[in-house]
Amino acid sequence: MTTAQEHNGIGKDLIVYVCLLALAGVQFVIAYQNIDASQMLTRMLVVACVEAGLAALFFMHLWTEKRGFLLFVAVFTIAVLLGLQYGWTDSYRMVTGAPFSH
Amino acid sequence: MSQADLTIGHSTTQTLGPAFSIPTKKFAMWLFIIADTMTFAACLVVYGFLRNGTPNWPRPFHSITNVAIMTFILLTSSLTMLIGLRSARAGDKGAAFRWTMITAALGIVFAFLHIREWLELIDHGMTLLKNPWGTGLFGASFFSITGLHLTHVTCGIIALLVVGVRYKGGRYNADDIEVLGLYWHFVDLVWMFVVPLVYLLNLAH
Amino acid sequence: MHDVAAHAAHHAPPTSFIRKHVFSLDHKVIGKQYYALALVAAFVGMFLSWFMRIHLAWNDTAIPGLQLLSKTGAPGGVMTPEYYLQLMTMHGTIMVFFVLTTAPFAAFGNYFLPIQVGAEDMPFPHFNMMSFWVTFVAFLVLMSSFILGDGPTLGGWTQYAPLNAVGSVAGPGQGLGVVLWATSIGLFCVGQLLGSLNFITTTLDLRVKGMSLMRLPLTAWAWFITSCMGLTAFAVLMPACILVILDHVAGTSFFVASNLVINDQVQPHSGGSTLLWQHLFWFFGHPEVYIAIVPGLGIVSHILITNMRKPMLSHRTLIYSMGALAVLSYMVYGHHMFVSGMNPFSSLAFSFPTLVITIPSTIVVLVQVFSLYGSKLRINSASLFSLGFISMFVAGGVSGFFLAQPSIDIMLHATYFVVGHFHMVMGVAAMFGIFAGTYFWFPKMTGRMMNETLGKAHFWLSFVGAYCIFMPFHYLGLAGNVRRYSSFVDDFLQPLIPVHRFITVAALLTGAAQLIFLYNLIHSRFWGKLAPNDNPWEATSLEWSTATPPPFDNFGGKHPVVYHDPYQYGVQSSVGDYVMQTSPEQVKTESDEQ
Repeated sequence: MTTAQEHNGIGKDLIVYVCLLALAGVQFVIAYQNIDASQMLTRMLVVACVEAGLAALFFMHLWTEKRGFLLFVAVFTIAVLLGLQYGWTDSYRMVTGAPFSH
Repeated sequence: MSQADLTIGHSTTQTLGPAFSIPTKKFAMWLFIIADTMTFAACLVVYGFLRNGTPNWPRPFHSITNVAIMTFILLTSSLTMLIGLRSARAGDKGAAFRWTMITAALGIVFAFLHIREWLELIDHGMTLLKNPWGTGLFGASFFSITGLHLTHVTCGIIALLVVGVRYKGGRYNADDIEVLGLYWHFVDLVWMFVVPLVYLLNLAH
Repeated sequence: MHDVAAHAAHHAPPTSFIRKHVFSLDHKVIGKQYYALALVAAFVGMFLSWFMRIHLAWNDTAIPGLQLLSKTGAPGGVMTPEYYLQLMTMHGTIMVFFVLTTAPFAAFGNYFLPIQVGAEDMPFPHFNMMSFWVTFVAFLVLMSSFILGDGPTLGGWTQYAPLNAVGSVAGPGQGLGVVLWATSIGLFCVGQLLGSLNFITTTLDLRVKGMSLMRLPLTAWAWFITSCMGLTAFAVLMPACILVILDHVAGTSFFVASNLVINDQVQPHSGGSTLLWQHLFWFFGHPEVYIAIVPGLGIVSHILITNMRKPMLSHRTLIYSMGALAVLSYMVYGHHMFVSGMNPFSSLAFSFPTLVITIPSTIVVLVQVFSLYGSKLRINSASLFSLGFISMFVAGGVSGFFLAQPSIDIMLHATYFVVGHFHMVMGVAAMFGIFAGTYFWFPKMTGRMMNETLGKAHFWLSFVGAYCIFMPFHYLGLAGNVRRYSSFVDDFLQPLIPVHRFITVAALLTGAAQLIFLYNLIHSRFWGKLAPNDNPWEATSLEWSTATPPPFDNFGGKHPVVYHDPYQYGVQSSVGDYVMQTSPEQVKTESDEQ
């Protein structure tokens, strides 16, 4: 298939690559910050999601595919991923014995 | 499975207007990636669920050097994969083959570093069941998640070698390199979540 | 964008017997293989249910021959409580995975989806072949647990933690049996993933010229939506099975809490969570029940339209409703866990979408029922079973409204009310969908008609029988009859024994009625009346426009072109009151005339 990616040189790939390296570096910096675990997790996850987005959009060329395909993949994946998040509150049960017992 | 994804298929690819104007093989790879996302997500949810609920979760990692190098290598291998694809699209077969092989080589270095790290941890007394630092669940989830990732890397390396050689031999074309590239970038993408969740959150302070 | 010559899946017809009938790449052969697998599995599952029912009604009665299956499990033919649970587990696993998933989705979908979109084959025939053979191996692995070790696992088809993880201490079959179960289901997941990849790409990429998405028959839509669910649901169950095997074999404790005492022994595991398994399992499990039922919705709509000789009131509404079912199925899974000790606020969050999911289900049924109103339905076995499907789906679905609410579900969850609910709404209803599909498509698959008299007898016996079996289940549940017990010796359950006996007799008779179907199937296959032509039902979709049975490449080297919506009935054309999708003929529809 001919896609727009051919019109852009290696330059764009390099920029994305450098961005990804920098973001990965940011994660390592966050790891040494003196904050509690939940704060750290939030920051790291945000960075990781940005990284994943960049990789999917530019390394995996989602950006240059049809918008419909981008939507199909993004909506499908994110919707199903959200469905997997129901269980979190139950993990506290392991610590506290029963949910909200305190 | 990833290798099979690429080696089994058809000589005649439909190019006239399939859905979203992308070749069927590429579409199938994307579908596989969506499914695989769920597989990894399930494993990471298990890990997070257990970590969240376990008070004596160990933080055994003292150095980030190894994982930083591994991240750098995997990210770089994604770049070399892209260069390989560009060469293939430009018709430069030799360069495409070379860059694919370089990608495979980087993958092998990654796997080597990973296994070396595993062996070090095992030397320190960490197994699936117990470790000297805290709950045994740490070893179980660490080895499961990184093991699943390493399996993907290994399959990817084999696929890179097979597809690269067959591309050189003329059986595969640039489209196949692209489909394989999708898989390889996905393995990279997953690593971006594994590093902070499994390594950095367990860094000793 | 549909300017596609559907020749993506080129491969030459095989010549050797093995490539033709065993390791075939042809989607039609693979579909038939899936059907045969489901047929065998269904009868195995049915015999198991017979054994269970006899034991429940007459506790001390020896079942002749049962001791041959397991000497320790059924000494002298009387099953032990553990063996009852083992048979129950196998019944559930076989039925849910190897019948309700394989028959309506994998079997009919494989055979007819490519033909209905006008393709020569699926885009990845090797994946398709692997998909069947992996499923076949999964079935063999599951069946092998009957003879290996101390029998199959007794944990139920949901295989709850921690019993699935602690090993033999939890009872017979919890050693090797669980490992075989998890291996089998893990393999099954791989098979369905490969199948789903093929289904989705077939539907979206291999449509012939003119076959826009809204021109796809409802069956094709149903299979497409189902495969979207299968793609992600099975991808979660597979790692869950692997983790269970790790817990079991390597001794990790993902799903076992600390200091657990089972059979007076403290377990060596520590730190895991039993609820975690339920979350993972039901994340798969709820989409799974829609994987079982949505193809049925598509099949019966397709059949009813053909026999009503008019389209459904709204084609699009049915499609959107099935899509809504698929989306919602990922948001409601926790309604299986109301009594699990899950966070009560989660129960609330699960209860609401569960009540919402009744809306698209109701819309589907209402569209079907109101479309039937005033139509001159052609009564044959296929249309009768389609009506039976709707009846079962409604009757079983109504109890779903009750169970969707945690406050009521807590009372009813561990009783036969739930057993009655899911057997009717997904078990019998999906089965009726399979039967309807079989009677309907048999002429296309074999070139012969099934016997209508036997078919109708089969329907009425099954229909009445199914109600006799499963309606009293609701009554039993309300009366407090707990499920999963192998005998009812408590005082308050004694008065219910006659109801159980009635159910058992009904189950034996209804089961025996299925032998009529088996006879009809086999007899018609070889000696049945020849189909009068390629389109005995005067249907419109693509599968009826090709030869019978369809040639290797489905359309004999031609590429059909689609000119019409899938259900052009009640029109005046040169062939009668319908126009086939491939017919270039311009016709006046009824709405035009008005």
